Order: sequence, then C-alpha cells, then structure tokens
Amino acid sequence: MSEAASNIKRDPINTRWERNVPVYGFPVVNGFFLGLSALVLVAFVLSAYRELAGLGPVSGMNDAYGWGIWKTFNLMVLTALGSGAFAVGIAAWVFRRKKLHSLMRMALLTSFLAYACGLLLLGIDAGRPWNFYWIVFPWRWNMHSPLAEVAICMSIYAMIPLAVENIPPVLERLWYFDSRLRPGVERFEKKLHYFYPWIIAAAYLLPGMHQSSLGALMLLAGERVHPLWQTPWLPVLYLGAATFMSFGCVAGTTMLCCLVWKRAMDMEVLDEAARITGWLIFGWLGLRLLDIVFRGALGTAFTFDRFAGVFWLEVLLISIGGFLLFRSLRTHDRQQMFVGYLLSSFGGMIYRFSPTTLAFRPNPEALYFPAGAEILVSLGFICLGIVGFLLAVKRLAILPAPLQDWHDMASYFRFRRPYIRWTGYFKYGHFGEDEKPEAATGSD
Amino acid sequence: MAITRRELITGIAKVGVPAAVAVTAGAEALKAETIPVPSAAVGLLYDATICIGCKACVAACAEANDTPPDTRGDALHQAPSDLNDLTRNVIKLYKPEDGSPFSFAKRQCMHCLDPACAAGCPFQALHKDAESGVVNWIADKCIGCRYCTITCPYHIPRFQWVGFNPRVTKCELCSHRLAKGLKPGCTSVCPTGAVIFGPRPVLLLDAKQRIKDHPGRYYQNRIYGEIDNGGTQALYLSHVPFEKLGLPELGAESVPARTLRWQRRFYQYFALPALLYAGLVQVIRKNLKGHEEEAHEREKATGLRAQL
Repeated sequence: MSEAASNIKRDPINTRWERNVPVYGFPVVNGFFLGLSALVLVAFVLSAYRELAGLGPVSGMNDAYGWGIWKTFNLMVLTALGSGAFAVGIAAWVFRRKKLHSLMRMALLTSFLAYACGLLLLGIDAGRPWNFYWIVFPWRWNMHSPLAEVAICMSIYAMIPLAVENIPPVLERLWYFDSRLRPGVERFEKKLHYFYPWIIAAAYLLPGMHQSSLGALMLLAGERVHPLWQTPWLPVLYLGAATFMSFGCVAGTTMLCCLVWKRAMDMEVLDEAARITGWLIFGWLGLRLLDIVFRGALGTAFTFDRFAGVFWLEVLLISIGGFLLFRSLRTHDRQQMFVGYLLSSFGGMIYRFSPTTLAFRPNPEALYFPAGAEILVSLGFICLGIVGFLLAVKRLAILPAPLQDWHDMASYFRFRRPYIRWTGYFKYGHFGEDEKPEAATGSD
Repeated sequence: MAITRRELITGIAKVGVPAAVAVTAGAEALKAETIPVPSAAVGLLYDATICIGCKACVAACAEANDTPPDTRGDALHQAPSDLNDLTRNVIKLYKPEDGSPFSFAKRQCMHCLDPACAAGCPFQALHKDAESGVVNWIADKCIGCRYCTITCPYHIPRFQWVGFNPRVTKCELCSHRLAKGLKPGCTSVCPTGAVIFGPRPVLLLDAKQRIKDHPGRYYQNRIYGEIDNGGTQALYLSHVPFEKLGLPELGAESVPARTLRWQRRFYQYFALPALLYAGLVQVIRKNLKGHEEEAHEREKATGLRAQL
C-alpha cells in the first residue's frame, strides 16, 4: 500500500506540509560535511591561539575600530538571520498565522544555531572572558547599558527559552528510538507543556529586547556613525530588519533544503511567509526613508562617496527582494521567491553591518579590514552552525513534508535498507509496537 | 481572524493601562535626573597657550603609573604618536598648513561628569568615583568587550591588543598618588604650569580669571568642559578651535543623556518588559490550548504521534 502510494506522482502546487520528517537516505558524513568540519577545526585551533596571543596577532582590529567582524558580523548580523524563532514564532503563535506552524521547527533550529555560534564567538572575542562570571550577579549589572542588555539577554535567551523550545524534536526521537523510554519521555513532555506558555512568551520578549538593543549599541557612538544610519530609531530599525531577514532565512533555507533533498514544497505556507515578509520589508523601508527625510539626512545619500553607495546598494537589494516576493505571489514562481528572499536578506545584512563597520568613521585615516585568521575563525563558526544544521535535519524531524513522506520513510527503512538502525525512528515500527500497521496506512 | 483582533485589542488594553502608568511614573523620575557633580570633584586644567610641548608630562605619567616607556616608534625614544596601551597621556601637535597659529594638545581622560564609557560598560568595570569623580577601570570586572573604545566621544580608553590578559589603559588621574596626598604625575612636572591639578570649582575660577585677564587670547573666551558633554573634570583653554585639539563640540547635554533617553526609559525598573511579558503569556496560553487540541485531532486522524 505504501509502496503504491509512493509511486503516485506528486502535484507540485497542491502538496501540503503536514508533518516534520527527518531527511533520510542521505549519509550525514560526506565530502561537504568533512570540508565544513575541517574549517571548524581550523577555527578552533586559531581561537585557542588567540586566547594565548591576544586579539592583535589574529585580527585586524585596532584602536580606532575596536570591534571586528566577530562581533559586528557573526553576532550582530547573523543573529538577525537567526531571529526566526522570534519573528516566525510571533506570527504563528501570537498573530495566529497557523500555516507557519509547519516552519516553526526550522525557525527554532536556525535560531538556536545562529545564537549559539554567535555567543561562542563572542566569548572568544571578549578580551577577558573569565570575568563573564559577573553575569550571575544581577546587582552588578549596569542595567542602563545596551551592551549589558545584549550580553545578558542573549545568553539567557539562547540557554533557556530557545534551548527548551528545541527539546521536542529530541524527545520525539527518543520516543521512537526505544519503547522503554516512552513513559519517561511522555512524563517529561507533560511537565514541559506545563511551562510552555511562560517559556514561549520569554522567547518573544527577550529577542525583542536584545535585537533592539543591538541597534542601541551604536547610539552612544554619536556622530561617528554616518547620518544615513545614526538615528534615535536605530533600535526599532534593527529589530525590524531582524524580522524580515529571519523570515527570509527560515523560508529560504527551507526552500533550499527542499531543493537539495528533493522534498515537495507547500506553496500555501511559502506564499503566506512571502506575503508577510513583503509587508515587513516595505513597512521597514518606509520607516527607514521617512526617518532619513525627517532628520534631513537625505542630502548625504546623493553625494558621491562610499557611504551613499552602501546605502543605495542596501535599499535597492531590499526593495528588489520585496518586489520579487510580491511578484512571486502572483506568478507562483519559486525561483523568484527564493531570489527575493536572498536579495532582501542580503540587503538586510548590509544594513545591520553598516552602523558598526561600513558606516562607522572613528577618524578620517582609520582603516579596518579583517585579517586572514580573523576571517577563518568567523567562517569556521558559521560552518559550525551549518554542521549542526546538517546533523539535526538528518537525525531529527525538522524539515516539513507531506504526510506521505513519513510513510515513505517507514517503508524505506523497513524494506530497502533494513540494516540501517541509526535514524532510530523505526526500530520498533513507526506506529508503536502494539498498533497494527494497516490501521494507520489505511487512514491516509 | 476576528477573535485574534479582539484578543489582541483586549491584550493591549490589559497591558497598556498599567504600562502607561509605569511610563509616566518613570518619566517623572527621569525628569529629575540631573548629572550630579561629585562632592570632591578634582580635575585638570590644561592651557594650550602656555604649553611648550616638552612632553615631560608624558614621561612622568608613564613613571607614575609604572608602565614601561613606549619606544615602539623608533626603538629609542619615548615618543608615542597617540594614546595606546602603554600611554595614558600624550602631547600632540596641531600645525595647520597655512601658517596660522599652531598649538600643542594634551590628551588624556576627560573624567566626564556623565561618562559615556561607564554608561555603556556592561558590568561597571569603568566606574566613576562618587567622591573624587575619577573614572577608574576595575580589572576584575572588565570582560574586554571594548565597548568603551567605541562609546568614548574623545576616544580615550585603549585596549591592549597583544597578550592573553589584556588591559584597558586610560588616565585614572593617578588615583593611587591622590590617595597618598600627591598630585597626578603630569601636573607635578609641568615646567610652565600648562596643566594644573585642583578641585574642579577652583580650576573653573582660575580659568575664568585667565579669560578675564587676557581678553581675546582664548578661543570663544570659553572653557571646554565647563558645560560641554554635560561637564567634564578635565578643563581646557585654547587659542585654536577646540575641535583641532581633538575635543568635538558635543553640546551641553551629555552623550548618554542625549542618546540613551528612550533606552533608559524603557528599562526603568524593568516595568515595561515585565508587563509585556504578562500580556504575551496570556495570549500564548490561549493559542497553545487551541493548537494542542488541533494536534491531537490530527493524531487521531493520521494515527501518527502528534508533533507540537
């Protein structure tokens, strides 16, 4: 029955994502994976060297540019891409865009990896990391410092709400792995569900706070940030950029995964995401341009210098991205939608990167370009995130798929390669030991 | 959708009423917020018109703070071109191309009344002494984030880029010497009295007297630091524009007061985030219940375990 069902040709437009299914039939360790792991290893070795030698020998940071790409790119830009748990989560859970629930596990995973890798690198970037222990004494915090807000709020967010939200797929794997674990898993799940509202609410409040405080960081730098970027609205704009960038990251990554691992795409969900992203983009652009006009900084956008260039590149990329997303809603062209996400997220990345680096002018002769080792470490920690992602989607039920894929996976492991046990999902049959397979396959 | 909107509105109302109260209460507290001048504020008065650029203060500073002389320039002379990880105090030269008056400029921490570095410092490693008003760096609290090098409008704190135990170097007005009743290193050696040490009010009176005695000698007949950036404890007199000495025109309001107003208001007593949190919990509780019911229905329909 399930074999016959799997032979039915799928309608590419009318498939529905009904269940998260692990990526099966692809080995975890392949050339790409090994390459990434090698880069991660290089980054670890270099960061160990940095701990001994100091920041100067491995980075291009200097007295004028005290912050390099480790902070300004890996933390400030990539956590914006990793705000999916915040933006997609709020749309799904608070504004009840129910279709987006099928993207939630992707959002939670990408967020956790982006934050975890960013925070790890922040620990390496900090010159005196052993003093981080002050974080457990709240009366020592400088509550009005944006950086304290970012450091404290981000670590709490990544370690508690975000980590807890990522537990269900792990529990699910345990549940399927061994029937003896089930009572324990179910008891734990029950406890978890009891605390869920508080955890989810914290998972929306905390990113709202620290993503905006990331923008507030550069407020104190005053005139040294170019007037096209320096505005009292920086916190709001930073938060806004994080929302549409993370939608792009979640939906774009999901589309890419579907392409790579030959999954069906649910265009209803993707259209919904694209529509929300489009509105977020144009709302954000409107706010950004209004702010520039009302502050009277528009003139600087028409001078011929690198700042104006960066500004126009960013605005063009984001608006073309938004335009393509809206167009893809009419044409149902997935390529257009993907390029739309890509361009708008890239434009957003340039925006988030600008106030700290591209548009930061500490003094006229100051220059900063990351050193080779600095780039390698930065790249290594991005690869660490990708390695984690590949591992997770191949071992846990993260990627959304039609219900049929679950049954296909069952038959794949039962009949084609029964000796493969390590996905764990079908060691004891995929419905539980005491259920009859026919009862379930008959119902779909 | 109709339910969503209604819920949203009631949710906002539930949150909004106490929030409005909290914000107004917080705002009133902030209106009263003025920058207190420390009770025994001490400071420096640097008169660029007297300075002869002998750099005795640079050597004395290094000696007083027990730092090795910075000879990295030519491996022979102690001639740092700017402040750095070994240099808390430096004399720079402003010499315009067109032959108009030149000036020396002494650069060291301004010891602002409302320091931006301390406002940004996450764990209060940069701390303004309540009595003397000296901005000190406390090694045990510093995480080495280098935010102070970004926030300081005068670009004073410098980070040590080499070594596993980096320090932040900035003038601390020789606090250890003050405790012994000595003057800061730089003021104790200045041959012309271009930089003098004293209580801030006394220095201000002295500077005003100099302006009165020599009308037309000083730029704008003004003391930099009297009100600039909310007031500083290092005061400057100059015959060239202050900007040329590396002292930007920042206005009377301090940088943190001007830029972090809303940030401070939002996090006042943590009231607003707490209220927002309560509202979010309410909405999510309701939505979670609906979502779980749907998931269990699907479980029954498909025979597959619910995925939440």
